Amino acid sequence: MAQYSVRNAQKLFQRGPATVRALDGVDLEIEEGEFVALEGPSGSGKTTLLQLLGALDRPSGGTIEFEGRDLATLPDRELATLRLRSFGFVFQQFNLIPTLTAVENVEAKLAPTGGGRERALELLGEVGLAERAEHLPAHMSGGEQQRVAIARALSVDPRVVLADEPTGNLDSKTGGEIIELLAGLAVEHGSTVIVATHDASLAARAPRRVQMRDGALAGGLAAPAVH
Amino acid sequence: MFYVRYLRNELVRRRTRTVVTLLGLGLGVALVVAISSLSAGLDQAQRKTLNPLAGIGTDLTVTLAPAQDTGGGFGGGNRDLIQANQSVITDLSKLGKPGTHFVHDFFLPGTQLTFQQTEAKQIAAIDGVAQVTQGLTLLAEHQEGIVPKIVASIKTGGQTYRIQRNLPRPSASEFQAMQACLQKLNPQGSTGPSTGSGGFGGRSNGGGGFRGDRGAFQKCLPKSLQRFRTNFTTPQQTLKQVLDPPQTNIKTTAYTIGGVDQTHPAMGVVTAAQVTKGRFLAAAGGKEALVSGAYAAKNTLKVGSKLILNGSSFTVVGIVGPPLGGQSADVYLPLAQLQTLANQQGLANVVLVRASSSASVSQVQKAIEAALPQAQVASSKDVADKISGSLVSASNLSHSLGIALSIVAAAAAFLIAALLALSSVGKRVRELGTLKALGWTQRMVVRQVAGESLATGVLGGVFGLVLGVIVALGIDAFGPTLSASSTSGSGDLLGLGTGVARTATSSVSLSAPIGVTVLAIGFGLALLGGLIAGTAGALRAARLRPADALRQVD
Repeated sequence: MAQYSVRNAQKLFQRGPATVRALDGVDLEIEEGEFVALEGPSGSGKTTLLQLLGALDRPSGGTIEFEGRDLATLPDRELATLRLRSFGFVFQQFNLIPTLTAVENVEAKLAPTGGGRERALELLGEVGLAERAEHLPAHMSGGEQQRVAIARALSVDPRVVLADEPTGNLDSKTGGEIIELLAGLAVEHGSTVIVATHDASLAARAPRRVQMRDGALAGGLAAPAVH
Repeated sequence: MFYVRYLRNELVRRRTRTVVTLLGLGLGVALVVAISSLSAGLDQAQRKTLNPLAGIGTDLTVTLAPAQDTGGGFGGGNRDLIQANQSVITDLSKLGKPGTHFVHDFFLPGTQLTFQQTEAKQIAAIDGVAQVTQGLTLLAEHQEGIVPKIVASIKTGGQTYRIQRNLPRPSASEFQAMQACLQKLNPQGSTGPSTGSGGFGGRSNGGGGFRGDRGAFQKCLPKSLQRFRTNFTTPQQTLKQVLDPPQTNIKTTAYTIGGVDQTHPAMGVVTAAQVTKGRFLAAAGGKEALVSGAYAAKNTLKVGSKLILNGSSFTVVGIVGPPLGGQSADVYLPLAQLQTLANQQGLANVVLVRASSSASVSQVQKAIEAALPQAQVASSKDVADKISGSLVSASNLSHSLGIALSIVAAAAAFLIAALLALSSVGKRVRELGTLKALGWTQRMVVRQVAGESLATGVLGGVFGLVLGVIVALGIDAFGPTLSASSTSGSGDLLGLGTGVARTATSSVSLSAPIGVTVLAIGFGLALLGGLIAGTAGALRAARLRPADALRQVD
């Protein structure tokens, strides 16, 4: 049974009088441990789909089953638990808490699970930032900040890592390093990786690529990402 | 603990926001504390000075109004009073031996009629009356000087009287005997008329005169003529001398004197609380006196001085300050002593009444007026109405404006704190959304945000209290002096006014006592402000859907 089973997922946004169909009937299955790239131009619905998969939002219609549970109908509290223990997010803007040091940013994810500073430092070591643990985000480079974000995402050994344009704010060299790090660590931590990107070279590193256009998948349901 | 470190970091690392919030909350709390303290200070000052009857431990005073004279005529209803006050007669002859120094005091009832002390019992029996004391306040005329000596000097004697009289003619036999005598003594010169200067020459009726020496003549006069006797009455005369008025230095000064029930030091015409130097009258009621500060200064009296009143020596045991409201006397004696001095045994002219509760004052007032139709009952309010001055204005101001200012200050503090919390949450939408994306529950996010606001409230409260205390201490140290004054005339409360209208002015340095309650309220306000702000922020944070929050652009 697939880890994710998305059926006819729809997401509508109200922009003034107009209704925008961000997702228009997406069907998708993702197996555990897969490395999937969601490709497509801006506005194609990558981020929206990623947010539905990461339980950050509910679909307007259809079902999104994660390990047999429909994320559309789970109560908020359970969704929060899923986000905490099962998902790890990496954002384009890094989204680190500006008042917290690198290690404290990792602790922010660990604290609700009861995890502590030692585990956070361990993760920072894994991303090669042990010596930057006490630095504030403002004093770190973009690559360093994104590495902290990756450490944060992986700190709880999540079932899935969801990365939304993780290299979008980085130069290509750093972006490549980040994607290598993410892919490598995901395997180590046994996590599925879903990366939304419009960068074809980045997507090319993914074993499976899913094309999106205007809120729908351009490829087949479970079509292998082969071009 | 991560959450605490996060909270501290938020406060420390967003320093500007924290400082602005603390300033806002702190100033608000400081204003509330300072204004409340100021208000309390003014209240205290007002209680001290503006409530004169409370100053003498009394709610009501009862005096006897002069009876209305229905007979008409000039003088109207005050005939009793005028009669009572007419009794000043200075009998010089009774003052002492001329030339000696005398001192005498006359005691008049002033504008208040006296009544039997027993009438007070009637008042004490009225429901709601907790305690009753009596006083006798009199207007005193003090006379002092030298008993005049009146001396008139009259000189008499030294007048000259001329008396003319016809002597009786000697009889024929006497004449013959006289001639024979003369013949015998002086035989030669018996012829010829007498031309001598003798006194009888001119009166001889012919028949020849006497010659010869006087000695012989004297010897020969008949017995009845040798010794002449007659009655002479001096003329009656009236001596008149205008006497200059006797020189004297008798001075008359007026003062007021109060008889105090010295067994009730907390309530009476004067109370122990008014004593500024020395002590209150001893309960035993000996020959002791209290004098007002002004009277003491005028007459150079001090504690330990002797005050001689009609021969009795009273020791000044204390100096008293006047309570506002004009019922001060110059000298206070134990009631019984004054009654004896003034010959008013068993009489009083004011009854001081304390009601069992402040709520029952007006009811007691009505009951007394009903029971004693002739009585004039005055309450504190009647007296307080006569008082004016900066203190009254300031107190009224503090009541209305102070409360308004406190509310505005508190509201402003709340508003500032709430707005800052809201704006802070507004700026942190992405951060809070990230926390939610990380798996924080709504409760955890709200708790974190509310915790920050509460911590800000606590810090702001502490800051505000410190600031407020400094301001209050500043007012204590440099505060202006407020004054209240009242002018008492003939209609004043204890009837001391006739001719002695006076203005009592009471000055109080403005203070701002800081009560524990005020501090607690100030701190509570800061906490409440923090909580309100925190709740407002947290509610906004709680409404965030993580995806929406993340979509927010910085």
